[in-house]
Amino acid sequence: MNGPLIVQSDKTLLLEVDHEQADDCRRVIAPFAELERAPEHIHTYRVTPLGLWNARAAGHDAEQVVDALVQYSRYPVPHALLVDIADTMDRYGRLSLHKHPAHGLVLTSTDRPVLEEVLRSKRIAPLVGARIDPDTVVVHPSERGQIKQTLLKLGWPAEDLAGYVDGEAHPIELVEDGWALRPYQKQAVENFWHGGSGVVVLPCGAGKTLVGAGSMAQAKSTTLILVTNTVSARQWKHELVRRTSLTEDEIGEYSGTRKEIRPVTIATYQVLTTKRKGIYPHLELFDSRDWGLILYDEVHLLPAPVFKFTADLQARRRLGLTATLVREDGRESDVFSLIGPKRFDAPWKEIEAQGYIAPADCVEVRVNLTDSERLAYATAEQEEKYRFCSTTATKQKVTEAIVRRFAGQQILVIGQYIDQLDELGEHLDAPVIKGETSNAQREKLFDAFREGEINVLVVSKVANFSIDLPEATVAIQVSGTFGSRQEEAQRLGRVLRPKADGHQAHFYSVVARDTIDQDFAAHRQRFLAEQGYAYRIMDADELLTDG
Amino acid sequence: MSTEEKPAAAPRSLAEALRGRDDVALAALLRSRPDLITPVPTDLTQLATRAGTRASVVRALERLDRFTLQTAQALAVAADPASYDELLGLMAGDDRDPAVSAALPHALRVLREQALVWGGDDRLRLVRTARELLAPSPQHPSPTGLGPTVREATTGMSPGRIQEIVATAGLPSTHDSVSAVAALTALFDDPARMSALLDEAPAESVEVLERLVWGPPYGQVTADPAPRLRWLLDRGLLLPTAPGTVVLPREVALRLRAGRAHRAVEPSPPPVEAAATHRPQVVDATAAGQAYTALATVEELLKDWHEGGPAVLRAGGLSVRDLKRTAAALDVPEPVAAFWVELAYAAGLLASDGEADERYAATPAYDEWRERPDAERWAHLVTAWLAATRTAGLVGGRDAKDRTLSALGPGLDRSAAPEVRHRVLTLLSGLPEGTAPAPESVLARLRWERPPRGGGRGPAGAPFPAAESARQAPGGTTAGAGRGAGAPAAGSPPGAEGARWAGVPAAEGAHGAGGAGAGGARGVYGSVAGGVRGAEGAPGAGDGEDLRARVARWTLSEAEMLGVTGRGALSAHGRALIGAPAARRAEAEPEGPGDKLPVHHRPAPVPVPLSPAEQATAAAAAARLLAPLLPEPLDHVLLQADLTAVAPGPLERPLADVLGVLADVESKGGATVYRFTPGSVRRALDAGQTASDLHAFLAAHSRTPVPQPLAYLIDDVARRHGHLRVGAASAYVRCDDDAVLSEILADKRAAGLGLRRLAPTVLAAQAGPAGLLEGLRAMGFAPAAESAEGDVVIARADAHRTPPRTPPAPVPDGPPVPDDTLLTAAIRAVRAGDLASTTPRKPAAGSEPGHGEPPRTTAAETLATVQAAVLTGEALWIGYVNAEGGASQRVIAPVRVEGGFVTAYDHTADEVRTYPLHRITGVAELADDER
Repeated sequence: MNGPLIVQSDKTLLLEVDHEQADDCRRVIAPFAELERAPEHIHTYRVTPLGLWNARAAGHDAEQVVDALVQYSRYPVPHALLVDIADTMDRYGRLSLHKHPAHGLVLTSTDRPVLEEVLRSKRIAPLVGARIDPDTVVVHPSERGQIKQTLLKLGWPAEDLAGYVDGEAHPIELVEDGWALRPYQKQAVENFWHGGSGVVVLPCGAGKTLVGAGSMAQAKSTTLILVTNTVSARQWKHELVRRTSLTEDEIGEYSGTRKEIRPVTIATYQVLTTKRKGIYPHLELFDSRDWGLILYDEVHLLPAPVFKFTADLQARRRLGLTATLVREDGRESDVFSLIGPKRFDAPWKEIEAQGYIAPADCVEVRVNLTDSERLAYATAEQEEKYRFCSTTATKQKVTEAIVRRFAGQQILVIGQYIDQLDELGEHLDAPVIKGETSNAQREKLFDAFREGEINVLVVSKVANFSIDLPEATVAIQVSGTFGSRQEEAQRLGRVLRPKADGHQAHFYSVVARDTIDQDFAAHRQRFLAEQGYAYRIMDADELLTDG
Repeated sequence: MSTEEKPAAAPRSLAEALRGRDDVALAALLRSRPDLITPVPTDLTQLATRAGTRASVVRALERLDRFTLQTAQALAVAADPASYDELLGLMAGDDRDPAVSAALPHALRVLREQALVWGGDDRLRLVRTARELLAPSPQHPSPTGLGPTVREATTGMSPGRIQEIVATAGLPSTHDSVSAVAALTALFDDPARMSALLDEAPAESVEVLERLVWGPPYGQVTADPAPRLRWLLDRGLLLPTAPGTVVLPREVALRLRAGRAHRAVEPSPPPVEAAATHRPQVVDATAAGQAYTALATVEELLKDWHEGGPAVLRAGGLSVRDLKRTAAALDVPEPVAAFWVELAYAAGLLASDGEADERYAATPAYDEWRERPDAERWAHLVTAWLAATRTAGLVGGRDAKDRTLSALGPGLDRSAAPEVRHRVLTLLSGLPEGTAPAPESVLARLRWERPPRGGGRGPAGAPFPAAESARQAPGGTTAGAGRGAGAPAAGSPPGAEGARWAGVPAAEGAHGAGGAGAGGARGVYGSVAGGVRGAEGAPGAGDGEDLRARVARWTLSEAEMLGVTGRGALSAHGRALIGAPAARRAEAEPEGPGDKLPVHHRPAPVPVPLSPAEQATAAAAAARLLAPLLPEPLDHVLLQADLTAVAPGPLERPLADVLGVLADVESKGGATVYRFTPGSVRRALDAGQTASDLHAFLAAHSRTPVPQPLAYLIDDVARRHGHLRVGAASAYVRCDDDAVLSEILADKRAAGLGLRRLAPTVLAAQAGPAGLLEGLRAMGFAPAAESAEGDVVIARADAHRTPPRTPPAPVPDGPPVPDDTLLTAAIRAVRAGDLASTTPRKPAAGSEPGHGEPPRTTAAETLATVQAAVLTGEALWIGYVNAEGGASQRVIAPVRVEGGFVTAYDHTADEVRTYPLHRITGVAELADDER
């Protein structure tokens, strides 16, 4: 027994990365264990009921799971844990959803007491209809998602064998001229298609759009794409026209300004969640065509009303794309149960090692508040504290020093507070993109940045997502949305597109020392640290004297 | 006790039978019934008497396996004495079941060995007490389901009725009842005639018989029985026992059962079935891993309780809340936490500290235990576990008085626990290596070996009701104590008396005969054991599963937690732990008399746990086997940039200790994941480490370079650590001229003041402000005191004041001189009284008041007179008794009467007053002439 795996009593699995069997082991445990942390030496996986059931859904049985653990474990695996795994996996598939020729969607059971138990639940009762026979009960087709979600919470996950509707066919092909899907992208598309619905997790800059395009080419049907904002919608359109056989006319934009419904429609979350007189008028979009595929971009941002509506779309194939499936509201499990289980996940460092994303040097720069600032900070109101310390004047000097150091390279300065950004823009003589900047102006500035006409761009959180800035090599974060882990990751993502000259990317996070800014920063960095990004910590003085 | 008889001749009593035994056989008896030699009996007669006492017999019967007990039960329903053939007929039935026939000699041998049965094969006799206990009676139905014999059932029946029955049954009439009963019995015993008789029976009557045949044999009948019952009653196939009750006589039932005394005999123990088989290496490795976890858990528990464990409840034990907290800390369910706590307690690693504010804490033995090698530490734990009578599984349940049983609290001792644990493990050792048993089959086997009394299978499955055996326990004590005092107890004292006797002090028991010490000791032991045994009956019966089965269940799970078993199968070190069973059995074999049994009927080895010395040896052997399987402690960790450290295995103790302070444990198991936080680093700095110590420590123990963020974290925390300083001072000296302060510090006389310079112009002192002022003045300075606000306190003699007080009231020698108003009022009152007493008045009707005496009138008259007075407005003269009982006379002018009260102008008091009518003793009109 000298395997690479250590099974902990809290059901985490520690995988020693440098072990010779590590890769074999990773492949074997990946189907049922969730990669939780991937720092440099030991990766942490977690075995959850959801993961085990997903493994069952993918055709693995308890025997395989137990064998995998026993085979690769360095120490004897506690018996209780093995029993627990077998018991948990055994719960899957006792209930299943089928398409009944006469009654439509039905819930059937191979274990009558289980069916009795779940039917007695108050939460299940409104979702089901008549009992056809002792083992079968009718389910309202619109409650397919809801009942799956509820059964999951009751601990009796249903196997969904009712299948998907094909939707309206529409020819879509990838046009691979001079480029090709990368192996992991292919793998992601394949896993998704095989599983039916689900979420693909890829680092920022690893080409999630292409996974989407690849899936569309698989589905060859009308597609609804949901994205975060209009800029992102335009980019999707641009990318699809470039990479697939789709033409401009086949792609519609459904946003605040335009309401086009075409075979491929790109809608923003914002327009879908616009509420008028207590109703969401634009949710009709989901029913306006017989969509064969629904694609959720940045699924970690999925707003609650869309959650609700997604529950009713269980008969359609759904693909969620994200770089960071961490939600500060803890609704990750809702994403999994409504969109589908995680179908593909690649650690950031792995993609980096394959050369598809740029290596990044993450630096946390700690600035000292001046004495008078410290006094002001100490007396500031609680809710003002973060704003105060994260907009300290010292940060400005440090930012300038960094910009000076990387003069000539494409630099993004990202922040939360408009005043601070305006001031920085003024000092750095750089344009500022913020909420009030018009879309046209934004695109113009982005283009100029892309062309290298502008070197430094100051952006507020409006540009957090889905802006494609191929040649940004340095990002400087001066303030953020408190402790948001995914924001940090997304911001790092801005500089991770592989550089033409193989340049290293730089990510600077400027943090005020000994304040809550520092605490928030520590929290923000957790996701990336767990993905193996080691932050160097620097003192501002060091930087200033160097600069 | 005739001495002429040769030992070879048939013995006539148990004593004689014992006398005929050789030493080996007697030793076997005493080994199986150790209560017979405490104290050592003076002779074999006394031994036989003692072996026949109720308590001792109950105890012996309780310890029989199911088949042997069934044999004893069969003997109890057979004739006394019975021949071996008769017994075999009862056990194996008319068709002579070969399995039973094969097993019976052994069962009989056990009964003989235990002196429950004596006599040769032609004259088997069950000891009388056992017979009484096992024979069916209406109060204690026998597990055989048989009723009384014809003879017993017809006792008290009129001879005429008996003759009728005999005649109807087709037998020739006899003249006396005895021969009639004998004839009837003979008829029922004869298979041929009996079947002829039953052939005639109507179908419904046969049905009735079939319902009663396997017991209970009693049935209800109305005064006018139905024809099918009438038919049976007429022929004696059912006999009346009491009005409205009939019984199926034993002979009839046996005939209908084809001679069998039991519906199901279990001649051989049910096998322990295998549930799964694993490779022995896997089993051993899993068990070793679990053994290591057990050590870690116990350490963690005591580390958790390191700085003051939970408080001891007033009734003893751990509160439910503390157990919950401990369970959360150990990350295990509460019952498991209770197990670990009890284990540590049993192993002597934790105890109550005995302080006024009693708390649990680790014992000094814990520190020694911690230092020993892992395998030895494990051996220490499991040895304690095997021998413990405390059973953690009971925690959370309720005792007979419905009090919650708390961990470490009283009421958890179950004397059967060690034996059951040992037996379960022995059963496991009987399986091939690497085989895990099906728990139910283990329980079934245990139930066979020692059929549960009470509870479990209902009254039919129990040799005697649980209540009785519980009551008998103190009785046994009595017998012991009584013998100790030199008064052989011949019989079974009633339970109540037994309970009283159990309280006899040891000294009194020691008074009597020579073997006194033993007697006294036995008395004390007996009363404890009796109490414990009594306690066992109640919860066991309440839960539907007997205590032994529950202990066995717990044993299986606890053995897994301790790493005695791995994946359910007994590990190699577990095997060593319970000694080498094969070797022991071979040793025990020759001791039994007549060892000619087929192998599969070999006696189950008496499940006696090893002696402490044997156990220690076995544990040491087990530890030797376990040691190489335990993971080797590591001297390094892997540090990662996300501020975690992973110890990919157990760490060397010093390393683990330091790391435990420097980082928080995030995940446990084979490996340990630590997380560094500012808080944890501060903790290490507080513990006296410096930043450079920590850097050096990490560098020394990390396989990989120390990540920059971690190094930075330590420096960053160290930078701020101790930035603010807090201390205690009683007073301070402040002076703008620091030269003066230097002078004070340099002065020898200031040594006693405990001065320390905090800043150039401030000294802190350990002496209080008053002492400091005095000291400085003595040194020739002129210090001024400062208030908390920093003002100079003006030293002035402060006047001491009480809170506001009233002056004392003067105590005059007599009443004060009255003033005019008072005098006027007094005089008026005197006058009015005088008027009342001297006014000539009309005599009240029906009364003849004496002169000057208050009138006496009835209540009705009083009311009438008063009401009349209200109308006329006349004044009345009344006799009145006040609330204190003082009588007075008053002249009143009533104003109104209502609700039992008279409101009137009182001339005597010169005001309007209210008088309860019931207090007015009499009333009279004033004489007219007065007006």
